[in-house]
Amino acid sequence: MAIAQDPRQNYLLAALPTEDLERVRKNLKLVELPLGEALYESGSRQRAVYFPTTAIVSLLHTLADGSSVEIAVVGNEGVIGVSLFMGGETTPSRAVVQSAGHAYRWPGKFLKEEFTLGGPMQHLLLRYTQALLTQMAQTAVCNRHHSLDQQLCRWLLLSLDRLVGNELVMTQELIANMLGVRREGVTEAAGNLQSAGLIRYSRGRIKVLDRAGLEARTCECYSVVKREFDRLLPAVART
Amino acid sequence: MASFNQGAGENRLLATLAGPHRRRLLADFDQVELRSGEVICISGERLKHVYFPTDGIISLVTTLRDGSRLEVGSIGHEGMQGSSLILGVNTSAQHATVQRSGTAWRLGAAMFRRHLGNNIALRQMLNCYMYVLMGQLAQATACSHYHQVRARLARRLLMNRDQARGNQFHVTQEFLAHMLGVRRVGVTNAANSLREEGLIDYRRGAVTILDGPALELASCACYRGAKDMYEGALGSLFSTRLRHAGAPA
Repeated sequence: MAIAQDPRQNYLLAALPTEDLERVRKNLKLVELPLGEALYESGSRQRAVYFPTTAIVSLLHTLADGSSVEIAVVGNEGVIGVSLFMGGETTPSRAVVQSAGHAYRWPGKFLKEEFTLGGPMQHLLLRYTQALLTQMAQTAVCNRHHSLDQQLCRWLLLSLDRLVGNELVMTQELIANMLGVRREGVTEAAGNLQSAGLIRYSRGRIKVLDRAGLEARTCECYSVVKREFDRLLPAVART
Repeated sequence: MASFNQGAGENRLLATLAGPHRRRLLADFDQVELRSGEVICISGERLKHVYFPTDGIISLVTTLRDGSRLEVGSIGHEGMQGSSLILGVNTSAQHATVQRSGTAWRLGAAMFRRHLGNNIALRQMLNCYMYVLMGQLAQATACSHYHQVRARLARRLLMNRDQARGNQFHVTQEFLAHMLGVRRVGVTNAANSLREEGLIDYRRGAVTILDGPALELASCACYRGAKDMYEGALGSLFSTRLRHAGAPA
C-alpha cells in the first residue's frame, strides 16, 4: 500500500495523550493482514493484540459442531484481543481478516505492563471492551429477529465505517459465513440491494452507491452500536 | 457490617477472595432481597449498585424498538450484576430484571469502584469474570442462531436449575419465549416434547426436572461449554481460596 502508515490511523491509539502514545509506539510493529488470515483460532494462546489501521477483522464464535457466526467486527476504531487484558490466556473466539490491510501489533507483555500503570490506555481499552460487548449483544438479538436484507445492510455499514473508500473486496461465500446463513440467502439479499440501487456487486467486489439508502433500509442495530460506541469513546468518535 | 443470613448461600465470586479481602469488602455491602419481576436497572440508565446474588436469578435482556427481545445473560450465585462498572462504564446496555426471587449482596456503584481501585485480588478476579461473560455472550449468540428451540430450552432449564440450586422452579412460557427470542408456541412445543419424553414436568409455570442427565443430552453442547468456560477461567481461584481457608470443598 502506498499510503504511509501511522499508529494514529487507529482511533484508540490516536486518542492517547502524546506522551502515552510515544511510550507505547516503541513496541508497536506494523503488520500486513491479508484477506482470510486468522489472527487467532479459538482456544489458541494469545501473544499480542492488534490495532487495525486499514484492515477489518471479523470475530467469529465457532460451536462444537464447527458452525460459526460473526459476533463483532473490528477495524480502525478498535483493537483485537481484548481477552488478553481480561486475564484470559486463550481466546474464546476466532479472529479472521475480512478486509485486507494493515494493523499495529502490540505484544502482550507490554500491554500488561501498561495496564499496571492504570493510565489512559487502560481506561480506553476497558471502555472499548464495553462498546464491543454492546455490539455483541446487539448482534445476537439482530440475528434472531431481523431479516437477512436488514442484517446485510447493517454488516455493510459497519464495514463501510471502518473502510477507506466505498468498495469492499468480499465474496458472497464469506458474507454467508459471517452471517451464518446459506450462500443463496446472501445472493438474494445482495440482489435486492442491487435492484434498489444501493450497491453494485461484481466479481467479489461490493461498491456502496447509496449509503443513506442502506441506512434507511437497515434495522436499528447499526445505529445502536454506533451510538453506544460514540457515547463511550467520545475522544475516539469520528465526525 | 451486615451479617450473613443463615439461609442464604454464598456468592461464588466473593467466595474466591481470601478472608481479609473479603471481610473488608463485605463490611460495605448490604444484604438485600431480590423480588421476582423487580427491575434492577433499565438499559441506558446509570447503574446505582452492583449485586452479587447469593440466591435468586437476574436476567439481562436486550430489547428492540418493536418490543422483541432476547436474553443475553443470566446472573445467579455464580455471578455479578453491573459488570460494565468493571470496565469503567456506569451505565448498563441491558435491562436487568429479577427472574427468581432471592437475596444478594449489594454495594453502591461509587464504593464498588473504590474497592476495585484498591483491591487487586478483586480486580483480577472480576477481569477473569469479564472474560467469561464475553465468551458466554459470544457462545449464546452462535447458539441462538443455530440451535433448535428444544435444545436451547433444555439448556436454559439446566442453567436455571444450577442457578436455583434445585430441580424445581417457576418460569412462565411467556418469559421463556422472551429469553429464547422465539414465539410462545415454539416454547410450548419444545416443552411438550421434553415432557412427553419424561425429562421434565411442566404445569402452570412450575418446572420440575425429572431426568437431569437426559435433559443434558437433549440440550446443545453450549450448556457444558458455558460451564467449562466459567470453571476454566475462575476454577483456579476457587482452589486458591480453599487453600487460604484451609477447608475442604
